[in-house]
Amino acid sequence: MNKTVAVFFGGRSTEHDISVITALSSVIKPLELMKKYNVIPVYIAKDGKWFSDDKLKDISIFSGGAIDEFCAKSKPLAVVFDSGMTFRKSGLRNKDIRIDIAFPAMHGPYGEDGSLMGLLRMAGIPFVGSDMAASVIAMDKVLTKQVVQANDISTSKFVFFSKAEFEADRDKIIKRVINDLKFPQFVKPSHLGSSIGITKVNNKDELVNAIELAAYYDNKIIVEEAVENLIEVTVPIMGNETLTLALVEKPLSHGDDFFDFNTKYMSGGKKKSGAKQTGAQGYSELPAKLPNGLYEASLDIAQKVYRATGCEGISRIDLLIDSKSGIVYFNEINPLPGSLYAHNWRASGISSIELVSRLVDLAEERFARNQKLETTFSSSFLKQF
Amino acid sequence: MKYYWTRFCPSYPQTIIYMLQCSEYRPKDYFAWLHRSTNFRLVMKRRKLDYTRKAILMLAVAWFILITTYIISLILFIQSIILVNLLFAILAIILFIISPLVIAYGIAVPLWLGQKFIQEPKERKMIEAARQIIVKHPALKIAVAGSYGKTTAKEILQTILSQGKRVVATPGNMNTPIGISKFVQTFDGSEEIIIFELGEERVGDVRKLCDLTHPDIGIITGINEAHLSSFGTIDHTIATIFELEDYLGDKPLYKNRESQLVASKIKDSDKLAFSRNGINGWQISDIKTDIHGTTFKAKKDSKTILAHTKLLGFHNVGIIATAISIADFVGLTPAQITAGIKETEPFEHRMQPKHLHGAWVIDDTYNGNSEGVQAGLLLLKELEAKRRVYVTPGLVEQGDKTREIHEKIGKQIAKVADVVVLMRNSVTDYISDGLHDGKFGGQLLIIDDPLEFYNNLDHFVVGGDVVLMQNDWTDNYA
Repeated sequence: MNKTVAVFFGGRSTEHDISVITALSSVIKPLELMKKYNVIPVYIAKDGKWFSDDKLKDISIFSGGAIDEFCAKSKPLAVVFDSGMTFRKSGLRNKDIRIDIAFPAMHGPYGEDGSLMGLLRMAGIPFVGSDMAASVIAMDKVLTKQVVQANDISTSKFVFFSKAEFEADRDKIIKRVINDLKFPQFVKPSHLGSSIGITKVNNKDELVNAIELAAYYDNKIIVEEAVENLIEVTVPIMGNETLTLALVEKPLSHGDDFFDFNTKYMSGGKKKSGAKQTGAQGYSELPAKLPNGLYEASLDIAQKVYRATGCEGISRIDLLIDSKSGIVYFNEINPLPGSLYAHNWRASGISSIELVSRLVDLAEERFARNQKLETTFSSSFLKQF
Repeated sequence: MKYYWTRFCPSYPQTIIYMLQCSEYRPKDYFAWLHRSTNFRLVMKRRKLDYTRKAILMLAVAWFILITTYIISLILFIQSIILVNLLFAILAIILFIISPLVIAYGIAVPLWLGQKFIQEPKERKMIEAARQIIVKHPALKIAVAGSYGKTTAKEILQTILSQGKRVVATPGNMNTPIGISKFVQTFDGSEEIIIFELGEERVGDVRKLCDLTHPDIGIITGINEAHLSSFGTIDHTIATIFELEDYLGDKPLYKNRESQLVASKIKDSDKLAFSRNGINGWQISDIKTDIHGTTFKAKKDSKTILAHTKLLGFHNVGIIATAISIADFVGLTPAQITAGIKETEPFEHRMQPKHLHGAWVIDDTYNGNSEGVQAGLLLLKELEAKRRVYVTPGLVEQGDKTREIHEKIGKQIAKVADVVVLMRNSVTDYISDGLHDGKFGGQLLIIDDPLEFYNNLDHFVVGGDVVLMQNDWTDNYA
């Protein structure tokens, strides 16, 4: 009998919509084409309710706006933790669906940040992608930088603070940022991806506005000093112990220009007319044409970051290169890259089907490995009571 | 019997008419398909019924037969209750149960009557009228016959000759007497060259079309086992296609030397036998082909043509050389011919390259013959690729040679492809056996739902792949 794979998507996140695309186009469809698994969509609505129905495999329910009506009319799933995970769909007769493997296709908080991974760990089922600890680290830009710095990997200079600290004494925070970092700077919410809430600033006024914007999305804000002579690259990596590296990819942007959410996802990457379009979002050079040695250096640093942060399954490591000094700085990690970065894997010789197939295998491999660990300890401690 | 109930689905009458339509209203093909089919819910997979006037009329007749059967059944049942007659009840139930068979077979009667007493007399008139127009027309008439390659030859000729002449050609697959007669109705008298594609399925077909089209020049593009089911033997196929030679007599007939079955009937001295080496004094050299097209040099006496076509594959060179020879004969200059060749490009679903996520997909799904398979595999071998992927459901209508031909194809594929994708049907095992015999060491995928595969090809390919998709397996061969 085919194993059942539950694909989780949507979620209480600003990246809800990106997650829908990742799940439907890059996960569910290739999994189904394998004819090896029973694929169950698990849609987490913006209010946190869980739903499952074959209708949710069709993009038209989302693009046509029928999803709100569907959620209003449908009964949410109940979850049973029965030495595993079973979804219970209530109706005239309850229908139970036991899950063999989970495939999170979620971006941002409550999905990519370790929350869902914690739940799946508790349930005791294999799941695709990084485990809880690595996801927590990867989804916090500050924490990730601290971890990679501790592993002797360069990062751009940065300052971080909480929303509460900023609101309590704005002047002090602004002064600290200006004293520690040169302009231009990037202001970012610490936990969001897809460039949401990120602003490039060149002066104090812009800095204040950008922090206010970032604080609208997150309680933790990071301000980074821009890298000079910038070449921005990204490296998708897959694997647990043995790693497979995709191609180094270069978004076609410059230091005075960066790709916000709209540019990445809404306009096909056309920030500037005549931009070369080769990536999934049509804004990248693949493979990146880098000056001598920087291509290999990027792969090397990316692997080190992947190891240092404990990533498994799949991740995408973003790097910043100072083309004059040749220094490769770590920028951030995407533990679940949008659409799995399937375009890059495809260019690397791995089809969408092979990609999801390998990811499921990696999930099962890690689960089997963890099952061998002892989780009980016999003691006479309770007998004394 | 397991799926007999599917004959009671509301879509059943529509399915029956769809089967008739796909069989081109030929009772023999329709009944063969009908007898093969079990689950009638799965018949309309690839396409839907095209609601032509004829189809609508036949559908109405089908519903009439069905409703009449139900009414008779109901009357019998009521009578059985009123008269307390068990026999009537049994008859009513039997009639209800066999009602789908009544439509399936009963529909043939009005079809035959309609064809015999309405359609055929009307068509005879139309064909005779067309024959009269063609006889009086002063244009140079070129007839193209063959088991394969007719449409490509016709398109190439039309494109090149149009550089200096007003040329018309039978559109699409209008290669039957009635199709050609409809085409003739579009003439305005100013045509200088008319190209007719001659279709053939039965002995005498080409002769009939020659009587209709009165060709001055003929081309035989190639002969193979296509339509072997209707011809019976390959000798019948050869004889039928060579009816063109019998008709032409001393008039020029160009014959494809690269087709084995045509070559067997060509004399060494025949100057009009064409191949990639040349024809009628035209010497071909420096042939190169890649995903962007084919280039070569053609030279005769002081005339030189540097040809570049977007058509893929060496197999096109011979017929382009023929077009050069005819174009030269009708007075086109080398510059005009060169320009014409440059305009030739792949036709829809015939060696048509498309870029897909860093891979090249060559759509040759309209190809339906073993020569086309060989030409495709030769091209696949020539092209630069990280992986060579070959996709096919196999060939239809190969008669009693089906097994032999598909095993041979399997062996040929094994030498070229890294990945083979087969669409599951009655010939899949034969190709697999051929792959095994050819010691195929790559990846073999067998797909149950071809449409799903074609629609999701982007999930299967990787950058650097060259994917050659050949042949089609429509519902009526299921």
